[in-house]
Amino acid sequence: MDKLITGIKNFDSILGGGIPVYSLNIVSGAPGSGKTIFVQNIIFNSARSGLKSLYLTTISESQFKMVRHLQGFEFFSDDLLGDKVIYGDLGLVLRKQGTDKALEYLTEMIKKHLPNIVVIDSFKAIRDLFPDEKTFKAFVFDLAAALSIWEITVFLVGEYEEQELTLLSEFAIADGIFHLYGQEEKRFQKRFIRILKMRGTSFEQGEHLFQISPVGIEVYPRMRPEGKELRYDVKQGRKGFGIPDLDEMLSDGLLEGTITLISGGTGAGKTILALKFLLEGAEKGEKGIFLSFEEPAAQLLNTARHLGWELDKYLAQGLVDIEFISPVELDVDKHAFEILDMIRRKKVERFVIDSISSFENSVSDIQKYKDYLWALGHQLKRRHINTIFTAVNDDPFSPLIVSKTQISLIIDNVIILRYVEDNSHIKKVLGIMKTRGSDHNKDLREYEITPNGISILGKLDRADMLR
Amino acid sequence: MSGFKKERIEHYETLLREIWIASAKYLGMVSVNLLLERVVWEVSLEYKEIELLQYDQNGISCTRIAASLEENPDLPVEDMFMKFITRYVAILAKLLGHERAEEIKTKLKEEATGISFSTREEG
Repeated sequence: MDKLITGIKNFDSILGGGIPVYSLNIVSGAPGSGKTIFVQNIIFNSARSGLKSLYLTTISESQFKMVRHLQGFEFFSDDLLGDKVIYGDLGLVLRKQGTDKALEYLTEMIKKHLPNIVVIDSFKAIRDLFPDEKTFKAFVFDLAAALSIWEITVFLVGEYEEQELTLLSEFAIADGIFHLYGQEEKRFQKRFIRILKMRGTSFEQGEHLFQISPVGIEVYPRMRPEGKELRYDVKQGRKGFGIPDLDEMLSDGLLEGTITLISGGTGAGKTILALKFLLEGAEKGEKGIFLSFEEPAAQLLNTARHLGWELDKYLAQGLVDIEFISPVELDVDKHAFEILDMIRRKKVERFVIDSISSFENSVSDIQKYKDYLWALGHQLKRRHINTIFTAVNDDPFSPLIVSKTQISLIIDNVIILRYVEDNSHIKKVLGIMKTRGSDHNKDLREYEITPNGISILGKLDRADMLR
Repeated sequence: MSGFKKERIEHYETLLREIWIASAKYLGMVSVNLLLERVVWEVSLEYKEIELLQYDQNGISCTRIAASLEENPDLPVEDMFMKFITRYVAILAKLLGHERAEEIKTKLKEEATGISFSTREEG
């Protein structure tokens, strides 16, 4: 089936390539949910592909105001008005000539302009012009029939609440229903779009985040692990840290394509250990990304220089990238998608998130956080990317808490960094709690971080150092 | 009116009836008549006489077109009907998909086999 490519960022992929042509679609949502911008974005993108749109306003939005607001968006272009984007006023006909003349006017406009897309905004607003539901219902069915024979893709825009979507007559004739809505989270006002129905194509269900930016609408598809995503090959290759004693404890490094959690208290060296893993990969020509929610790139560069590591060189060669996202700005819905997109684009083999605790703290819904991490983890595994998640342990002297939430299902390897007290001294010890599918050394080893790098020292020989 | 033209109109009337029945199966009578209305409008831009085509829920008739030949014996009947059928089937192909339109086409007589599926966008 032919598709209308909307050109909205990431939206066509949710729809399996676009909206089926000649479909009748309803775009619903409360006032201010972004319906009009969504449809306008589609028609201006389509206009650039040579398609003509007829945009009929009714009685809820004045054309003058609408065009004035649209001028701030990059998709808008004066040059397309009148030629590829034609505005008309169906509301005036309805008010002055009555509902009987509406279909006649619509047909005349279609004959005159031969559009590929017709939009009626707002469709809900014209309900009140009909004497009763029965008459309106008849109009809706006549309208659908009349439009169906003109090879036109239709968008009926309306301020419908979600509970109305199954009740009103216009929804019976819809091939597609897009519902837009917003909700408040901790720091962000979030906008979501859900495809409630779409005949003639498969689509990604669930709520997808979108934002309205100067570019227009940008959609961030919901991340979710699917059955097919769970199938991936387990590779037997190893990827090390380049710290001989640690790699030896791991039986020659981490298994390829596994996810490792490095958990530890503040200052224990989680970031440094994770960074060393990326640098070891870069040394072997493997690309890596360090996604930092904790330290900006400049700070990481300073740390690396202090340890005598050539991070600058690998950054310049493009073998390592540091992406810093302030935890204040972190929007998990958006960034989870962008992270995967970045990994795909850059063909990364080693990947670090420092730290997933920041991820966790930015999500009000802890189940959502787990779902994201689960989905992200499986997609990373499917791509055979060695991933390190660092996690802050609130109690630096206790090794028992790995992270606040139970994420062990997606974690293959766990490395614990913790502090111990010894004779009025604080020492750091490292232990490997788990390596899925592989043997590992069970010792707790002291380690130190000096200007020469990370050194693994001897085995902790006194159990009383552990609380 | 020449006997030959009358015969051709009768022939096209039969053809249109077959198309009408075949497409009503997929679109329903209401949509078929709306589609006929659209094609009549399109063809009327070249041949005004096509507006004399009669159609309703009971079927389709070319009686008034045949009668108009008395006043307009030079009407290029063949071209007018072929354009009509071509457009009709082409739109049908777009709306229903080529597979369904092909099924309808195969039900038509030999004259319809040369019909191409040109569309508004392509044409």
